[in-house]
Amino acid sequence: MSKTDYEMVVGLEVHAELSTDTKIYCSCKNSFGSEVNSNCCEVCTGMPGTLPTLNRKVVDYAIKMGHALHCKINNVCKQDRKNYFYPDLPKAYQISQFDIPLCEHGYVDVILDEECHQKRIGVTRIHIEEDAGKLIHDDSFSGSLVDFNRCGVPLIEIVSEPDLRSPQEAKAYLDTIRSILQYLDISDCKMQEGSIRCDVNVSVRKCGSGEFGTRCEMKNVNSFSGAMRAIEYEANRQIEVLESGGTITQETRRWDDHRGQNFLLRSKEDAQDYRYFPEPDLLTIVVPEERVQQLREEIPELPGEKLLRYVKDFGLPYFDANLLCESGEKRALFEEIAAKGGIDLKAAANWLNGDITRILNEKNKTLAESSLSADKLIGMISMIEQGTISNTAAKTVLEEMFWQDKEPSEIVEERGLGQINDDSALQAIVGDVLQKNEKVVMDYKNGKTNALGFLVGQCMRATKGQGNPAALRELLLKQLG
Amino acid sequence: MQLYEKTAGELHDMLRKKDCSASEAVESLIERIDAVEGKVHAYLTKTPELARETAKKVDERLAAGEELSPLAGIPIAIKDNICTKGVRTTCASKMLENFVPPYSATVVHKLEHAGTPVLGKLNLDEFAMGSSCENSHFQNTANPHDLGRVPGGSSGGSAAALAAGECTLALGSDTGGSIRQPASYCGVVGLKPTYGSVSRYGLVAFASSLDQIGPMGRSVEDVALLYEAIRGMDERDLTSAQREYEPLHGQLDGGVRGMRLGVPEEYFGPGVEDEVKEAVRAQIGELERSGAVIVPVSLPSTGYALSAYYIISSAEASSNLARYDGVKYGYRSENGSSLEELYLNTRSEGFGDEVKRRIMLGTFVLSSGYFDAYYKRAKILQGRIGQEFASAFDACDAILTPTAPDTAFRFGEHTADPLKMYASDICTVTVNIAGLPAVSVPCGKDKNGLPIGMQIIGRKFSEKTILTVAKAVETLRGGYHSLPQIG
Amino acid sequence: MKIDIEKIARLAKLKIEPDKRGMFETQMEQIVAMVENLPEMSERYVGVDPENPMRLREDEVRPSMRRDELLQNAPKVQAGCVVVPRTVE
Repeated sequence: MSKTDYEMVVGLEVHAELSTDTKIYCSCKNSFGSEVNSNCCEVCTGMPGTLPTLNRKVVDYAIKMGHALHCKINNVCKQDRKNYFYPDLPKAYQISQFDIPLCEHGYVDVILDEECHQKRIGVTRIHIEEDAGKLIHDDSFSGSLVDFNRCGVPLIEIVSEPDLRSPQEAKAYLDTIRSILQYLDISDCKMQEGSIRCDVNVSVRKCGSGEFGTRCEMKNVNSFSGAMRAIEYEANRQIEVLESGGTITQETRRWDDHRGQNFLLRSKEDAQDYRYFPEPDLLTIVVPEERVQQLREEIPELPGEKLLRYVKDFGLPYFDANLLCESGEKRALFEEIAAKGGIDLKAAANWLNGDITRILNEKNKTLAESSLSADKLIGMISMIEQGTISNTAAKTVLEEMFWQDKEPSEIVEERGLGQINDDSALQAIVGDVLQKNEKVVMDYKNGKTNALGFLVGQCMRATKGQGNPAALRELLLKQLG
Repeated sequence: MQLYEKTAGELHDMLRKKDCSASEAVESLIERIDAVEGKVHAYLTKTPELARETAKKVDERLAAGEELSPLAGIPIAIKDNICTKGVRTTCASKMLENFVPPYSATVVHKLEHAGTPVLGKLNLDEFAMGSSCENSHFQNTANPHDLGRVPGGSSGGSAAALAAGECTLALGSDTGGSIRQPASYCGVVGLKPTYGSVSRYGLVAFASSLDQIGPMGRSVEDVALLYEAIRGMDERDLTSAQREYEPLHGQLDGGVRGMRLGVPEEYFGPGVEDEVKEAVRAQIGELERSGAVIVPVSLPSTGYALSAYYIISSAEASSNLARYDGVKYGYRSENGSSLEELYLNTRSEGFGDEVKRRIMLGTFVLSSGYFDAYYKRAKILQGRIGQEFASAFDACDAILTPTAPDTAFRFGEHTADPLKMYASDICTVTVNIAGLPAVSVPCGKDKNGLPIGMQIIGRKFSEKTILTVAKAVETLRGGYHSLPQIG
Repeated sequence: MKIDIEKIARLAKLKIEPDKRGMFETQMEQIVAMVENLPEMSERYVGVDPENPMRLREDEVRPSMRRDELLQNAPKVQAGCVVVPRTVE
């Protein structure tokens, strides 16, 4: 048998840090990159006698994610202790949720390709829990250092059903989850800061088999592209084991992205016994039904629906629509332009994804810091469409109205950027250009048709970019016979 | 009568009338501690300078004509599992021998606010696990009524200090009887309040769902006074109840006439010594003669309560005490170089045997494959016990039982047999399991002159009712008694 | 009931000295025998009590603890951090 006879079965556990102001169980600041052990108190470092107090916003955020992933919201639920020893876990238990998660039985539709094929991925559950601290390893020093700043940072864990069948599907799912978190504005989703992480469960089975194979869990997957590599590697490893007559044993493995390999962390026999039991320091979480509904109403249009709408209703190519959907500011501006209408939306998308993005990136600014508005952009694009200005001139207009409180028409007038459409004026220029480029004219007549482009360019240069290129082309062709 | 012998109520009146100053009261107590502590060993840490400082401030406010809170200037001592900022809090464990909390328990803040001078921290069984104070890593505390006997536990230091006149008021904590049983053994009054009425913030956790800080004193009024000062909702403890509380001090003289008092036969079984049963029954007779209506009530699951208690409390303890790992605070073993060795050696060297037994029991009942058989069933039984009490309270206003099955035993008498020690809790654990309030009040003495306590159990938040009954018992017995002769 | 003391001790991160092993084993078996005394019950364990809902904390930042206070009880400190034997990485 070969690799293609097997199918991989993948489930993902995504941990996302929530962007609340305070930690989940105390009022310490929830922020990344502070001086070590500076955002801590007796509660988040588990000192004797201290008690947790649950942050209301954590519950709200998790419920929002639940709604976004079409989950059933368990508005009556509890928290449980997961007991294990590690230096980054000061209480030696993590407050999490065991048998009654805040949200469960959901799904998300993931767009798999440019043709917008979709697949529904089941979401088993979403629960709230606290993050652990960080261990610092320094080669100059024989021990490890513990920084408790991250202790108590709120997390949601989103567990998928084993519905994914390829690394590409896994990546599409992860991208979707990330953009939903961003749309809801509940997580920073900064992979490099570890604010979104995932554990990967992989098994393989013969194609057509209805039963699942034995799965292995992989930890330490620190990027989405790493997740794809880790899944590919693990599926191949399992196939190799099976092909050589072996069996897969349930185990936890550690992914090493540098080496592109994983290693056994612990086998099932060594599986930790977490001794979950209900957290006695906290009472039952009861979210009133009205609040659950209110949170549902706060859910915006989500990335998948929006992308499909851009493609279907506005005729944008998948790639352009996807780019637009990734930025909250750009899609908001785009939506405003679309609502006002009157111009070709594809052109608007091009400007947003092209020059506007480039300028923002160069200046490291946001749209909010600029003077751009839907009206200005509509004005500018209309002038192009009406032939009042050329694309080249429009770039100048854009640069100028980007940071200044000026209307595009004002700029065109001030700087004389209006396009020359007057045939007699253009006629003179064409005559002049042909005279100066006799050799090129000869080339053209000898069959080098691309010489025409050169001549149009020369005419444009002569008009300082203000000539209407279509009209110039027409005149040139007429003259050349 | 010396100032150290006075009740809090008496001292408060004297302070108000300027018959004495807070500083004089504190000095009297400090002298008394110096005189008898060598025999009683109730204190783990003494803080005379802190007490003097607080007293001085109170005297200044008195001189300025300020109205004082009832606890201002009344010397108190605190069980050493309640965190006091800047004063070491050991839980009588080697593990926390040098632990100085950078924060105070909510109850300690309340005392500070009231101007209550703190004399020091009192001995207990390690992490409040025990019934004799013999599980303290540091010292045995003696029962002031007989120095060869235990004061009970785990709040044995609190009860002994009160009985010996080494403090006027004391704070204890009660998870399965730890306030009431030592109060009974030492002939003082101890209240285990309704779960959720006193903030647990800063009480070093043993079993979070059962632990409650409570007041101890030599009179019922004193206990009411201290309870009023420490109760109330705390935003730092989400299990603390949000409610209006009625005033208690000076409101407890209603008597028992017409009150229906329940007597459950299950609490007078063969496990309870005859002398104890007789004393409690005799007191019940007195109450009946005072106009109370005595009604038999039934609490059929009582016999299973000890099992449920040891399962739930040990399960929670195994998790609560996991944080003592030598990393962030407390004892760290010098032996071993790996992380695993650090954990194993620190915890094995830092904890005493009883704590280890409870951690192991708790770990066992929570471990994979046993959770349903032990923890879940214990929690179901907990619900059932609560319902049985609720039905009993349909028929009566308070329930009367012995506090402990026996009187103070000799040092070493039960130490070899954990089960015998656990049996000390048979009359008290149901109250914690059901989250109810209960008070122990002295009701007699055995043939050796050792105090016997009666337990009065009430509905949730019915502290006023049970303290009224307790006050009636106290009054029937001729009021507050003088201190025993020490030694 | 036979209790696997070794396994329990390992989970609880306790080391039972050989000379105390027998004692702990016997005592644990006695204690477990005692707590096994529970009646048969048909009730279900739910674990939540909607009648007694929890207050939630508002998401408002309060000052954290000063680092010197935070670490004042730590057995070993270096570079503002608690020190532990090197963990595998």
